[in-house]
Amino acid sequence: MQVKDVVNSLTFRYIVKYVTVLSATVFMLVVALYIYFSYSSFRELGESVLDELETLQLVYSGQQMAGVQQYIEDQLSSPSVNRFYYLITDSEGEKVLGDLPQSPRYREFDDGWLGFEMALQNWGESVDVEFLAHPRGLGDGYSAIVARGYDDIVEQGKLVFRTLILVMSVMLVLGITGGFFSAARALNRVELLNRDISRIVRGGAERRLQVEGEKGYVRALAEVMNQMLEQMDSLMQGVRRVSDNIAHDLRTPLTRMRNNLSQLEGRLDGQDAIQLDGIIEECDDLLSSFNALLRISALESGSRLVDGSNVELRALLRDAVELYEPLALERNIDLTLDAPQSGLCKGEADLLVQMFANVLDNAIKYTPSGGDIRVQLRVGTAGSAGHGVVISDSGPGIPVVERKNVFRRFYRVESSRTELPGHGLGLSLVQAIAQYHFGSVELGSANPGLQVRIKLPAVAG
Amino acid sequence: MNILLVEDDKQVAEFIVNELTAAGHNCNHAPDGVEGRAAAADGTYDVMVVDRMMPRMDGITLINTLRADGDTTPALMLSALGDVDDRVQGLHGGADDYLVKPFAMAELLARLDVLVRRVVPEAELQTVLEVKGLSMDLLKQHVQREKVTITLQPREYKLLEYLMRHAGQVVTRAMLLEHVWGYHFDPQTNVIDVHVSRLRQKIDKDFEFPLLNTVRGAGYRLGPQLDT
Repeated sequence: MQVKDVVNSLTFRYIVKYVTVLSATVFMLVVALYIYFSYSSFRELGESVLDELETLQLVYSGQQMAGVQQYIEDQLSSPSVNRFYYLITDSEGEKVLGDLPQSPRYREFDDGWLGFEMALQNWGESVDVEFLAHPRGLGDGYSAIVARGYDDIVEQGKLVFRTLILVMSVMLVLGITGGFFSAARALNRVELLNRDISRIVRGGAERRLQVEGEKGYVRALAEVMNQMLEQMDSLMQGVRRVSDNIAHDLRTPLTRMRNNLSQLEGRLDGQDAIQLDGIIEECDDLLSSFNALLRISALESGSRLVDGSNVELRALLRDAVELYEPLALERNIDLTLDAPQSGLCKGEADLLVQMFANVLDNAIKYTPSGGDIRVQLRVGTAGSAGHGVVISDSGPGIPVVERKNVFRRFYRVESSRTELPGHGLGLSLVQAIAQYHFGSVELGSANPGLQVRIKLPAVAG
Repeated sequence: MNILLVEDDKQVAEFIVNELTAAGHNCNHAPDGVEGRAAAADGTYDVMVVDRMMPRMDGITLINTLRADGDTTPALMLSALGDVDDRVQGLHGGADDYLVKPFAMAELLARLDVLVRRVVPEAELQTVLEVKGLSMDLLKQHVQREKVTITLQPREYKLLEYLMRHAGQVVTRAMLLEHVWGYHFDPQTNVIDVHVSRLRQKIDKDFEFPLLNTVRGAGYRLGPQLDT
């Protein structure tokens, strides 16, 4: 399974969408929290500054400048960096008291608030600190500025913000990673189902999906699919059984009819006998296609080959080619066998020769006079893809779209339906025999003819 | 000829008995293997036709039992088309020939005829086969008709040998495929006919009368018909 497949899977995309929406929500919440936190912190800070000014004014109105001086000195002796800073000026604007420089460069905010930056000694180190300050007249021309650093608030705000961002990132990463793995798991199960289903489609109608290991909706899905397969299988078997039964039941009366005709023929002569001979031939033809149909069913429904004897494919092909050589010669078709090596295969000689014979039969039927048919044996080793028997003709071939259909029983390509004899069972039987031997048949183009490629498992010689 | 039919299906049995009787044979019927064994012990038969699947005692067991008893009457086994390897099993089981139901009567008659006549010991030892001026020297592998040498391909030679060994008898296409090629299946087209007509070209074309005849609805016969 590829990473790409997982990333493209529906589950993963759902999870990513979900995590994204969740993160966006959390992010908005974080921003809101941050804004709220900053706002209330600054308000508190501002209030404390105003309170301090209030205190200074109270002190001044009670004890004049001496009281203010005493108060400020008390405050300045506090070691905290986070204390108030003061500047008291007289009516001339000269500094009277305090630890702020006489004329710092203020930035003016709304409502008389001031802001400035100043270097402070903190534990022996110079630190730039941002201040928020507010001026106020104390009376008699004196005015006071009280300032307080707000770096702590900013620091705390940053800390809160960073923590929230970190939490959010971790959530995103965990969510997407978790999403990836659960999507991979879901996909894996779906892929297993998929593989099973394609195996069934490719011709294992009796197989079923594995339900045991599955849970939840996958299990439910697998169970429903199994039921569906069960139904399809029984329907297909029903259809097959009906056609087999018809073939089976019609065979006996047809045989009887043929025998009676044959007796009658003995008593006739001349034109009548010849006419009757044609009827008997048609009976034989029908019987042979019934037999082929029943044989296909027997091959397909029964178990596959068990401990067949070793057969030599080159010898079988020689026999099949030799059997059809006169027929090919009669139609002026060049039939050649190219089998440089001998190849062993487990099987039943009668069936295999019948399979080759059927293919040759078709090839001769469809190849025009003067054409050629090539039979090739490509020997494989026991471990490899097996032996390949390729039979190519120079006939019209079969269009790509029809190639799957011609293996169906009674199916005939439209053009040959009217022109040539046959019942459309030849290739079905070829396929049934190949599969009975654990092999396969494929159709291809021999440019322009038909190429029939039969694969059979090889056994060690 | 005297034929013993061992078959449990009444309809099929009746049909075969009628047909064989109509063909001028004497046919007795036993409905299962046990009765078949008793009938075979009682009478003298030229050939037996035995169904494979029967109650009480199946066909293979019956033939094995009879062979163990020392009965060498040739036996043809009948079977419904079923398992693919039925035929092989049947032939291993002691039957001399095997036929899948339903079959053309001509096929059964031809096969029974061959089975009955083949038990002639001296025919196996012959080194020269001869039919109406056509002769085949089996040692020299030489064929001639009325002193004219006929050159045959190996397969044509085998085909002619089989026909000559059964001269005067009807041989079917299935029998030819079985004995000359060694395969048993139902070919779609008339491949066998083409082989036969090529052989006919060589042995009949330049001569006064044809030896190789087509028997309509059945197969071929070399030479005039034998008396039954």
